[in-house]
Amino acid sequence: MVGFTTTIPLEILIAAGRPPADLNNLFITDPDPQGLIEEAEIAGFPRNICGWIKGLYGTVLRHGIGEVIAVTEGDCSNTQALMEVLCLQGVKTIPFAYPYDRSRETLALEIRKLSDHFGVSAAQVAEARAQLERVRAKVHEIDRLTWDENRVSGEDNHLFQVCTSDMKGDPAAFEREIDEFLRAAQTRAPFSESLRLAYIGVPPIITNLYPSLEEMGARVVFNETQRQFSMPYATADLVEQYRRYTYPYDVFSRLDDIEEQIALRRVDGVIHYVQSFCFRQIEDLIVRKRLKVPILTLEGDRPGPLDARSRIRIEGFLEMLKARKPC
Amino acid sequence: MLTLGIDLGSRKVKLAALRDWQLLWLRDFDTIPFYKRYGGMHEGRLTIDFAALELFSGGEQPSAMVVTGYGRNTINLEGARVIPEIQAHVLGARFQTGCDTFTLIDLGGQDTKVARVEGGILQDFLMNDKCAASSGRYLENMAQVLDISLDELARYADNPVSLDATCGIFGESELIGKIVEGHPLPHLCAGINATLVKRVLPMLRRFPQDMLLVTGGVARNQAFCRMLEQATGARLLVPEHPQHNGAIGCARHAAAGA
Repeated sequence: MVGFTTTIPLEILIAAGRPPADLNNLFITDPDPQGLIEEAEIAGFPRNICGWIKGLYGTVLRHGIGEVIAVTEGDCSNTQALMEVLCLQGVKTIPFAYPYDRSRETLALEIRKLSDHFGVSAAQVAEARAQLERVRAKVHEIDRLTWDENRVSGEDNHLFQVCTSDMKGDPAAFEREIDEFLRAAQTRAPFSESLRLAYIGVPPIITNLYPSLEEMGARVVFNETQRQFSMPYATADLVEQYRRYTYPYDVFSRLDDIEEQIALRRVDGVIHYVQSFCFRQIEDLIVRKRLKVPILTLEGDRPGPLDARSRIRIEGFLEMLKARKPC
Repeated sequence: MLTLGIDLGSRKVKLAALRDWQLLWLRDFDTIPFYKRYGGMHEGRLTIDFAALELFSGGEQPSAMVVTGYGRNTINLEGARVIPEIQAHVLGARFQTGCDTFTLIDLGGQDTKVARVEGGILQDFLMNDKCAASSGRYLENMAQVLDISLDELARYADNPVSLDATCGIFGESELIGKIVEGHPLPHLCAGINATLVKRVLPMLRRFPQDMLLVTGGVARNQAFCRMLEQATGARLLVPEHPQHNGAIGCARHAAAGA
């Protein structure tokens, strides 16, 4: 199993026949994610560091993962120190960087280095890409059924898209799961909630956010980052695919995508999720300046169900959206 | 027509009764003793013993009851409607002041809310997150360190000493350091009040500064209000019953729906 700290060119691991594991997914689906964080804190990680970084550390140790691809640029720079601490524990770490300037040459070099490390050729990677594209297209259909036909819940939309980062470690099994879900979803009665929301920012550490929103009469019809993990754009080659992928680059390209999707999906309001102690919290001020729809900034720290304070904020926000919405 | 509004706050439980749209009375209780004395578990949900509260004379019952605040989702109040806090506060502020366009800042025990209301409609709002260092509880702690009352603390706005700790608890040891340095009490108090202004300004800056309504227990701190008015340049208005604003909003909502 090869772990990674955020989405990387998955095609390389598939081509190499190495089971991929998005450490974030392993962490948040662990029966005791809090325990993984506590393990990192006992090891010496500061309290005022993002819960995901600590969770990833605990996950690597708990699962005995021997090799980790660490995304040191384009995601969280804390990953660099995480990588160093893992090295100390004897874990083999491979750095990968998304160049901030989106340089085609630099990204191509990074992808080539990663391919060389796993000993795969460009042709093998292209073959893996074709296989993954088929699975991704099916997840895109789940996304379309969410906003266009209203047959998919915010949580299912989130889960299927977020899992495209590692295809649950087994693309063929994941594809079968998707096929089964699509068969059932296509004939379901559509949802009829009164409010349509966009969820932007990193995936939530809150475990029951989507069902809680639906209980309150609002459904998420756009999961920004999760959709990006599913590689939503048609691109000519692998390098272009990971250049178009917005998440690791500047906030402005993300906002172009968000604005387009908000209009397309007829969104009433945006939840901007920010992780405590994450640099992306700063970007909230840019998001608020740029987007013209109402925004609720929701901060999460540790894994667990929605707390009373966040619930109060969400209820107030939804009430405001209802009052603003023309009847 | 008699209606009752209840605001279940983190530090105080506030109640307001209206008769024919006129304020009849206001009451409040400390939150924890309130739950201990009048709360009980019934089929897994917290229930309030209203009879024991003896709110109304002669066995009179309100024709409608509305509740907001912490725990409103788990409290089983028969016949009560629950509304979001922000809605309660906006309704209360409009009822108390007659204003329709304003920026509301509510500083409670642990929460700080800023809301923008235009033409009576809530346009946007912000709440503090994951940190209560800009709340009433901070003032309570600091007053306790200085061994003075909240009313005494609220008197001083001039020559504030600089207090910079991010954490409200570390702020206590910072304050003790300033006492040891020999700063006079009025300057220490002014420093504490100024810290609160510094904390809420970034939240306020996102909204128009035309008319600023200040509610919540902290609105009773005159020094804070004066410093806030100077810092924002806004016209500042404190409703007659700032601490009961949410409860009044609930009673007003109950009257409209009854």
